[in-house]
Amino acid sequence: MVAMNNAMPLAQARALYSPDADIAPPPVLADSGALLNAFHPDYVSSSMARLAVGANAGDNCQRELAALLQAEAIIDEADLAGAPVTDTDVLIIGGGGAGCAAALAAAERGARVLLVTKLRLGDSNTVMAEGGIQVAIEPDDSIQRHIQDTLRGGHDIGNPALVSAMAEDGPDVIRWLIREGMQFEQTPSGDLHTRKAGGMSAARIVHCRDYTGLEMMRVLRESVIQHRSIEVWEHSPAVELLSNEHGRKCVGAVFKSLADGRFRMVHTPSVILATGGLGRLHLNGFPTSNHLGATGDGLVLAYRIGARLRDLDSFQYHPTGLVYPQHLSGKLVTEGVRAAGAQMLNAQGQRFVDELLPRDIVSAAILRECREGRGIRVDDGRVGVWLDTPRLERSQPGLLERQFPKLLARFQASGMDPRVDPLLIHPTLHYQNGGVVIDANGATTVPGLYSVGEVAGGIHGRNRIMGNALLEIISFGRRAGVAATAPRDRGPRKVTLEHVNRARRDLTLVGIPLTQEAPQILPDYAAKGIWNR
Amino acid sequence: MERWRAAGGGQALERAAFDPAAVREAVRQADLRGLGGSGFPVSRKWEAVASETPRPDKYLVVNGNEDEPGTYKDRLLLEETPHQVIEGALLAALAVGANRVVFYVNPDLTLSLAALKTAIAQWHASELLAFASSALGRPLTLTLLPGSGHYIGGEETAAMEWIEGKFPFPRGKPPYPAQVGVHGCPTLINNVETLAQVSHIVLHGADWFRALGKAPGAGTKLYSLSGDVLYPAVYELPMGTTLRELIYVHGGGLLSGKPLKAVFTGGPSCTLLPADDLDVMLDFDSLRARGASLGTGAMIVISEGTGIVKRVAEYMRFFAHSSCGQCMSCKTGTATMSLLLDRIDTGRGTPTDLATLENLCAMLPGTGRCHLISGVVQLLDSSFRHFKHEYRQALG
Repeated sequence: MVAMNNAMPLAQARALYSPDADIAPPPVLADSGALLNAFHPDYVSSSMARLAVGANAGDNCQRELAALLQAEAIIDEADLAGAPVTDTDVLIIGGGGAGCAAALAAAERGARVLLVTKLRLGDSNTVMAEGGIQVAIEPDDSIQRHIQDTLRGGHDIGNPALVSAMAEDGPDVIRWLIREGMQFEQTPSGDLHTRKAGGMSAARIVHCRDYTGLEMMRVLRESVIQHRSIEVWEHSPAVELLSNEHGRKCVGAVFKSLADGRFRMVHTPSVILATGGLGRLHLNGFPTSNHLGATGDGLVLAYRIGARLRDLDSFQYHPTGLVYPQHLSGKLVTEGVRAAGAQMLNAQGQRFVDELLPRDIVSAAILRECREGRGIRVDDGRVGVWLDTPRLERSQPGLLERQFPKLLARFQASGMDPRVDPLLIHPTLHYQNGGVVIDANGATTVPGLYSVGEVAGGIHGRNRIMGNALLEIISFGRRAGVAATAPRDRGPRKVTLEHVNRARRDLTLVGIPLTQEAPQILPDYAAKGIWNR
Repeated sequence: MERWRAAGGGQALERAAFDPAAVREAVRQADLRGLGGSGFPVSRKWEAVASETPRPDKYLVVNGNEDEPGTYKDRLLLEETPHQVIEGALLAALAVGANRVVFYVNPDLTLSLAALKTAIAQWHASELLAFASSALGRPLTLTLLPGSGHYIGGEETAAMEWIEGKFPFPRGKPPYPAQVGVHGCPTLINNVETLAQVSHIVLHGADWFRALGKAPGAGTKLYSLSGDVLYPAVYELPMGTTLRELIYVHGGGLLSGKPLKAVFTGGPSCTLLPADDLDVMLDFDSLRARGASLGTGAMIVISEGTGIVKRVAEYMRFFAHSSCGQCMSCKTGTATMSLLLDRIDTGRGTPTDLATLENLCAMLPGTGRCHLISGVVQLLDSSFRHFKHEYRQALG
């Protein structure tokens, strides 16, 4: 986030703000393309690099991510001497919603499942998802419209096969979640309560207050823990995948225990990557809404073993990340608040964009206000604009308490009240739009390797619309879980790090020095003792 | 084939067809060795077969069963220059009086099989084969036979069993193939690379051939370089090229500039050379003097950071899988060693396991019908000799 000296100081802006002022509608946005090109980080060429090796050689990629994709592995074969080996039918890397859904689907099919997670089970972006799940269930809605909205929101480059698979799964996903025990908001007559959000042609978001993801994770986590054929390892980051003797097939993975620092190997015919996104890389210096483990490990591992990725230059900067108070920096205010009618104001108290346009356009508009001096500055130099929650409360009294209790509680704990004080917000690095190329079963281009959830790409094109992330993780999680249990040849197999050697050879041939190591596992600012234990 | 003829192919055959003794003499003077791994002087085999009378046939088996990990030279020859191999085979057949030539090729090498099939059809249509038959005085038959796909099928007597339509179990020796080979007939069996050299020797003379090598080696050798080097490939270099030159000049050095740790010479069924032996000359005699062997010329390069125990355990698993199982010592020996190595490699080993392995190394060599068990022990033994500390370390 760039510090803006000409922005208005917080106290001055707060004094100027009044929830009762008359506000003109925002100016009509004439050219959204020009706005994106000028202000959205995805469109700024200086933040891009071209990949030189691997399945995506020649493609554009965010500079920080490119450095990790083209880096040296953390481990060598010698590190694995004496490492214990565990055999399993299906290995799932990642303990968020997608990983748990895949684990349950595979276990329901009778497979022995091992789920390994870097932090704790449920430590994920799933629990951060506040808004809800998008699913076409209203009478005036249809699966077809869901597909169209998703594709259009993604600038029409999403894979229609994946999008339609997800949208068609939608009603069944909700049915399954309810059967697992998840609670949803209901209308007085007992139907699922839906609401409409940015980029949608119908009301399509089902939700549980403003902690839908948390509620989902609660249910999934319980089911996983209780399932007798699912074993869970916590605090065990994946440091490398294992390949066959040609380095072309995934046959397992290597984990390092954060408890005792030892490596452990898992041999399996099916690996499901469900490692989530990379917000903690803080691309372009942005704050992030992501949890502490989101360091893009899955992309690095998949790329090194030869999987094709896509849309590596496209990330979602959620418009409404918090600026103030400091300890909540980057944390999300759900789009549901804007969907419910909250407006955004610049330092002069003017609306500057239609709040329900797609996220990338709204974010670009906020960045424009901040860069052109109409932002509001806090003491440490960070800037933002207002999200006008007091006015929302006045127009619909009691709404915040009823529908956004998590938001309210979070601020009350900091001694603030969103019903009185507007929120200071700035776009925050929220979601990785692209990822590993998959088919409708979650299978990547590498045999034996599946990829589901945020780490996979192709569904959201260049921009995800609200509510599709939670749908995606369950839909594709279950699809991959089923596909991974399909019988396959298990004959004598070699387990090697051949793909690591291939990557080293490629890097050396193009002259990239092997100085940086990846995956990163922990954010830069994590205590070093955690890793070197 | 026309292109090959235009480039001078077939001249050796035309020149030497009617003088088999001269061909044998040239090969003897050239000190051509069995390049499939044995390093056995080719002329000794040839003389032995030539001195036998056909009963009623004599066979020449062209051994292309190449299956040793890290070896891919015969595949290259068969794919790129099948005519040279066929010409060499016909020269050999004429030199020893064999009338039936069998090309015995690993069934997994589909491109080699396809290339050879096309080439043999072209020979059948050409006057060269008729010319060779007239030189022999009876019809020469060329047969292409895909092998069994078993590693052990590359052993010469196992190849003969397969050609007779049986499972490729190696036979006891003696009698040697020169006396009793395919269907009881005298049989010469040579590796693809060996036979590919013959036409050059005939055409340019033994002295020219010897001068190609770096003494004491003679001629050239195809080295299959693989592992942690920058440019893994097959290199044709003078016999006796040093390991240092092969790795650092031709192979472009080690990946990511790491130090060299060891080299599996001749594929895993041979030995490990530690990094101190970089200046050893890669020919049969120099390596034997070091207690190592050249084998097929495969050089699997291992850099610092590679686990020796893991590699050896992997190869042992391969051998346990590949043992044909007819000799008890090999069947149970490879399986037991594989089990123990896996235990050690996965952190479950005990000092007793290591001692057991050492005892097996002392007991097993020479107990099988074929060379497999001895080769396996040679590998394990040399890894003990140079990297014992890594085994101890894996014991924890």
